[in-house]
Amino acid sequence: MGLEIENVGVRFGSFEALRSVNLTVDDGAFVTLLGPSGCGKTTLLNVIAGFLKPTSGTVRMDGMDISDTRPEARDTAMCFQSYALFPHLSVRENVAFGPRQKKVPKNEIVQRVSKLLDQMGLDIHAEKLPNALSGGQQQRVALARALAVAPGIVLFDEPLSNLDAKLRDQVRTEIRALQREVGFTAVYVTHDQAEALAMSDEVFLLNKGVVEQSGAPREIYFRPRTSFVADFIGAANLHVGKIKDGAMATPFGPLGVRGADALNKTVCWRPEVVRLGGDLQGAVTASAFQGGHLDLFVSAGDQTVRLQVPGSHEFDVGDEVSFGLDPENVVVLADEGHVDA
Amino acid sequence: MKRRHISTILAIAVSFALFFWLAIPFAMAVMWSMVDPGHPWSYPDILPPKLSFERWRVVWETTSLPTAMLNSYTLAPVAGICTLLLAAPTAYAFGREEFRGKAIAQVVILIPLVLPGFVTAVFFASLLLSLGIFEKYPAVLLGHIVLYMPYAVRILSVSFSQVQDDVVNAARDLGASPFEVFRAAYFPVLKPGIFAAFLIVFVLSIEEFAIAFIVGVPDFTTIPTILFSYLGFEFVRTNAAVVALILVVPNVILMLVLERLLQSANPASVSGKG
Amino acid sequence: MPRYLRIVLLLTPGLGLVVVMMSMVIYRAVAQSFGLYNFGGEDILSLAHWQEMFDNRRYWSALRWSGYIATTSALLSVALAYPLALWLRRPFFGSTILSAMIKAPYFVPGLVAAFLLINVISFHGFVNEFMIWIGLWDKPVRMQNDENGYAIIGLQVWKQLPLAFLLLLGSIQSIPDSVLHAAQDLGAGTLARFRRVVLPLTMKAMQAALVLIFIGAAGDFSFQAIAGPARKNSMATLMTQLQGSNYSDWNGAAVVGVTLMGLSLVGAVALAGFVQLMTKFTENVR
Repeated sequence: MGLEIENVGVRFGSFEALRSVNLTVDDGAFVTLLGPSGCGKTTLLNVIAGFLKPTSGTVRMDGMDISDTRPEARDTAMCFQSYALFPHLSVRENVAFGPRQKKVPKNEIVQRVSKLLDQMGLDIHAEKLPNALSGGQQQRVALARALAVAPGIVLFDEPLSNLDAKLRDQVRTEIRALQREVGFTAVYVTHDQAEALAMSDEVFLLNKGVVEQSGAPREIYFRPRTSFVADFIGAANLHVGKIKDGAMATPFGPLGVRGADALNKTVCWRPEVVRLGGDLQGAVTASAFQGGHLDLFVSAGDQTVRLQVPGSHEFDVGDEVSFGLDPENVVVLADEGHVDA
Repeated sequence: MKRRHISTILAIAVSFALFFWLAIPFAMAVMWSMVDPGHPWSYPDILPPKLSFERWRVVWETTSLPTAMLNSYTLAPVAGICTLLLAAPTAYAFGREEFRGKAIAQVVILIPLVLPGFVTAVFFASLLLSLGIFEKYPAVLLGHIVLYMPYAVRILSVSFSQVQDDVVNAARDLGASPFEVFRAAYFPVLKPGIFAAFLIVFVLSIEEFAIAFIVGVPDFTTIPTILFSYLGFEFVRTNAAVVALILVVPNVILMLVLERLLQSANPASVSGKG
Repeated sequence: MPRYLRIVLLLTPGLGLVVVMMSMVIYRAVAQSFGLYNFGGEDILSLAHWQEMFDNRRYWSALRWSGYIATTSALLSVALAYPLALWLRRPFFGSTILSAMIKAPYFVPGLVAAFLLINVISFHGFVNEFMIWIGLWDKPVRMQNDENGYAIIGLQVWKQLPLAFLLLLGSIQSIPDSVLHAAQDLGAGTLARFRRVVLPLTMKAMQAALVLIFIGAAGDFSFQAIAGPARKNSMATLMTQLQGSNYSDWNGAAVVGVTLMGLSLVGAVALAGFVQLMTKFTENVR
């Protein structure tokens, strides 16, 4: 089921949680709403679910305006951060809750619930109460409960944030596999950029109530449009200055840039696109061996950049290092930006 | 936005209902207490023809109200202190010790609350009669202590459970004597609970009617038994109004103080962490 | 000192005193109802006092009356407290003062409450004057000491509603928003959410409220004596009459007292069970 958000704004008193958000989700796509806390991503999710009425704008599902439709009548199902399982109902009853409300015939409910419980590996826990289950199992029940209504769109509100790191990776893979298999449209809220990059067909990065950039994970990562995006996703090195004749002067030396001449521009590059040897130079201020690679912090003047080089190299603090960049990999950002000290 | 309107209308409607719920009954009691003996308030006057404190003076000078007030207000603080002292060890055990049967013990302590008050009073009187105890003051006092023990134990055991082991251990670690440990680690946390428990026993003892009536009458009068005497066979509305106000006003004020105390007795404000 | 001895010593002054006193009182009531501890004559263990009471119309009438008042008051208080608690679940402008006003009658002693009410409902009291003034009634209605006990039930509700309100409010507030949202998201409308989520999750609080109000109202003396119908007795007023100076029938009073304890117990169990069944039933209605 497709989803369109058009000029949606949400205001709490004088605080603008969302300012004219536009986004389109294709049927069957897995998209993430990514951003720091307070960026409005959960607000947007609540607008889609219908828990929150937007102050302005429209929400459409499959072309139908559902802005005034109550949550219980929308074809969405949410997986909550706290799981929000019904504590008084068994796992089976939790999963059967939705279909019962939607007046699905009894024998079909039984079949559908059993199939989901099998699929999720919950069949042996079917008669237990949610409190008797581990966090990962509760997470699965929440997902099964959401899927039991065969929703057009499944909404995920940071569903993995209460799981430990190892389990998180596993459940992440499971959710994505299940989404491909069942074919539902997924809108997934997270503040974890690694999660967003790993799972999504498309990432919507929100900041202060607006969509700062959207695109495929690779595009967002390698082609950030603004300094906020560059900074929020992965590690980025930023320089501010004048672009003249395809280069920007930096304390490390002239940096080759593919861009028109401009007075005040910010450029950005990722630590891993660097190669050792080249016309940029600085002194190592810190190095951290990470196994497969080595993180180097290199300073010149009042600036420090981060380089990622193969783990086989060795550097001591104080060593001079020269490095180079392909102008292809240096992105000119749209905003004026700033460089964090 | 339509929903907001509905809720505003509802709020106004309920405020009106509550105005009638509280304000009218109390206003009528105040007016009845201030009816001037020389100008009776009778149908069809909407308000008393003349308001004065004459009735208050008459009740004070001609009835046993002063004695009853003396009895009530000497009984209540003693009941409060005795109940606190007797409840403290049990509360400590409930709040800071683990033992078999604790859950049952915590239910058993509530029995005085669920047994009908007049059953307790009548058979407590019967017990006193066969034991040959005819002293009214200690008898009513004992009755109140037992009746209100559950409240004191409940409140104090919550307070005891909020004392942090770390703080107790730190005090001991720094060489404090048992008294110093109590003063430094226990008392600051227990203080609101102690006041709250004392206050609730005090207020309930002032209000208590069953035991005071069955055990105390006729020679030991308290404010509620005086009030009942004006409400029962001989209905004297103006006198009853005076006594009712004397009974209810201090108690309502104390109850408001109590609610404050119970709020401040929560763990976050006592231990300083949320 | 062995641990268990320490615990026993700690429990003695508080719990110990309560257990000793209360069991003596209860034992006393039961024993006297079977003819022991007889003040008037010899101690004879017999069922005579029970039989005597069973033949007494006033006994049955008081039992029915107390059961009726207690059940009605408990159900009515809870029925009124539920919507109020649901409504005041979230703070809004003025909600604190509303809750405070709902809670206030809880702090008013029973005798005072009875006095306040009879002023309001008396023959020339506020209600009558008001109803005549707005033209709904053309002459004053006699409401005090009415035969149906509406005045007593009104008093009980006035005084006990706060208890039900506080218990239910606490319980409703402890249901996380996300759980209610989840139900809504899965297609449950307002009524379905109440039936299938709120009701089962607040069942314990509702049981507690019903039981406590029932026990309180079943043992009522003051309201009955002041605002009740003159020719009816509650169990407590009957008991005090029997024991009082006119009769000094301690054994008869004991029978009534033991019956009252039985009524409280049976009523409490019945109401709690009723709520459990009703919740199960409404929960499963599709």
